[in-house]
Amino acid sequence: MSPGLEVTGPRRAPALEVTGLGVRYRRTWALRDCSLSVPKGSVAALVGPNGAGKTTLMHAAVGLLRPALGGVRVAGEAAFVAQDKPLYESFTVAEMLVFGRRTNTRWDGAAAADRLAGLGIPPGRKVGALSGGQRAQVAVTLALACRPDLLVLDEPLANLDPLARHDVMRSIMAEVAERELTVLLSSHVVSDLEETCDWLVVLNGGRLQVSGDIEELLDGHLVLTGPDGASAAGTRVVGASRTGRQVTMLVRGAPPLDPRWQARRPGLEELVMGYLRSPESAALPGLAGVGA
Amino acid sequence: MIWVTWRQHRAQIIVTAGFLAVLGVLLLGSAVEASRYVAEHAPPGCPGPAVACGEVAVALGRRYDAVYSVFGWMPLVLPALIGAFWGAPLLAREYERGTHRLAWTQSVPVWRWLAVKLSLLGGAVVAGGLLLSVMVSLWRPVFRTGVDSTFGNIGVFNMVGVAPAAWWLYAFALGTAAGSLFRRTLPAMALVVAGVAVSMFTLFQLSDHYAEPARAELSGTVLLDDHDARLVRAAWVEPSGREVAEPAGTGCPRRVDVGQSSRNAEAWQACLFGKGYRYAVYYHPPSRFWRFQWTEAGILALASAALGALAVRRTLH
Repeated sequence: MSPGLEVTGPRRAPALEVTGLGVRYRRTWALRDCSLSVPKGSVAALVGPNGAGKTTLMHAAVGLLRPALGGVRVAGEAAFVAQDKPLYESFTVAEMLVFGRRTNTRWDGAAAADRLAGLGIPPGRKVGALSGGQRAQVAVTLALACRPDLLVLDEPLANLDPLARHDVMRSIMAEVAERELTVLLSSHVVSDLEETCDWLVVLNGGRLQVSGDIEELLDGHLVLTGPDGASAAGTRVVGASRTGRQVTMLVRGAPPLDPRWQARRPGLEELVMGYLRSPESAALPGLAGVGA
Repeated sequence: MIWVTWRQHRAQIIVTAGFLAVLGVLLLGSAVEASRYVAEHAPPGCPGPAVACGEVAVALGRRYDAVYSVFGWMPLVLPALIGAFWGAPLLAREYERGTHRLAWTQSVPVWRWLAVKLSLLGGAVVAGGLLLSVMVSLWRPVFRTGVDSTFGNIGVFNMVGVAPAAWWLYAFALGTAAGSLFRRTLPAMALVVAGVAVSMFTLFQLSDHYAEPARAELSGTVLLDDHDARLVRAAWVEPSGREVAEPAGTGCPRRVDVGQSSRNAEAWQACLFGKGYRYAVYYHPPSRFWRFQWTEAGILALASAALGALAVRRTLH
């Protein structure tokens, strides 16, 4: 085991700590043996294919379901924006804010009203009559008005046009810049997260594959391109693909000795895809080996 | 949470209150009109048992029947509506629209969200049922002095006393529990309608056993004098004192009646009475009104509590 290979655990205090989490729906496990922690102040991306257990992990984090095994600890208060941004259709935007005030101990109504006014969302309009982007903004505003320590967003950008995606993301990032807020957001589109997130959690088939600081993860991996037959001895291969006589590999740690390999730093999407294609590989804090 | 409950359920609350108000106006109008009629047309001493009062009694009976035909269906339909529109959507609509993920992730804990909603709406339902009972109880005596049917007629029985409140609460709890099981509004509504009908039939069958029936031995007639009693069963008593369901070998000719005539049956009965037979009737006298009201209300309240607990359990897990 050479130094620098380990993806380090969080140095800051954790905002979210998940230990040995297992969630079962009837007989199938939606999530198994999942341990991770997200440091305070980070913006964590939770990625994985459909059915990987992202929503289940988020629901466990905000207390919507009781895990069969293990536990979840949130430092402070968590606010949640569920998938499809559920709101009461028959309520007006102003009434949604009253709903938030009446159901929360911490509530910053003035800031919420200012935010909605700034976005040009009329308070008298029925929620059912809002556009997708406005709806997402109202849902995010409600969540932020609780002054949470952890903001959990399940697919906040799904079903939004590019402009609305940008606006919603900007709203969230403005709040992160303003105060100590930790964000955990899920997406199955990695490119949405590249510029904003600094922590990565990859779930696949109900199991945790990657958890760590994005910069450290990217520094700790290499994309190798070389001829078929080049020796990969001395490296830990995450996954490989062949096109003709050429082999492309994602490896973790130091480059191999064989000089025929060309090495470069992976992009976030390459890293995520590399792991998702090899479900048996893992890059977790405190775990020595890659692969089985 | 009180505001949230009001805002989410105000449509049901307003419609129910409006319905009770309209019904109240209808009953009040009918009672005022009947009182006026009595004041203008009734001979002195009427309404009462005197022969001269017959005409007035018939006219009042006609007025009573006209209004009763409007609300005769209420003992069954109103609980079903309460269950379908107050109970079923309470949890089912939240699940259906995904808003439970919004409602239950605010700082108000889920158990408190449920406790406030169940107690406020359950309380409103009980209050509505009691109001209905009070209105019907104030209205009926205007028409029915000395002719009571609050005990013998199951439809009227379920409209007075504490019965409407108990049935409404039960239907509300049934709807809530169905909503937590199905997580869809429409199936929950369907289950409420079927469940209320089945429960009402079952309790009606069961009500014979709320108390040990009283026994009366009749001679010369098979009809109990008290027309508001609930008959449980009847039997013939042989001259020897033995009770039999069907007397045999009595020597009395028995023929089947044709059409609406009961001449043959009456002749047979008269013959039996002549030979020393008596007719035993097991029944519940109307004096057991409150005992039956509270027994039924107790059963329904227990069932409501059990269904409420089921809904809470399903929701919190």
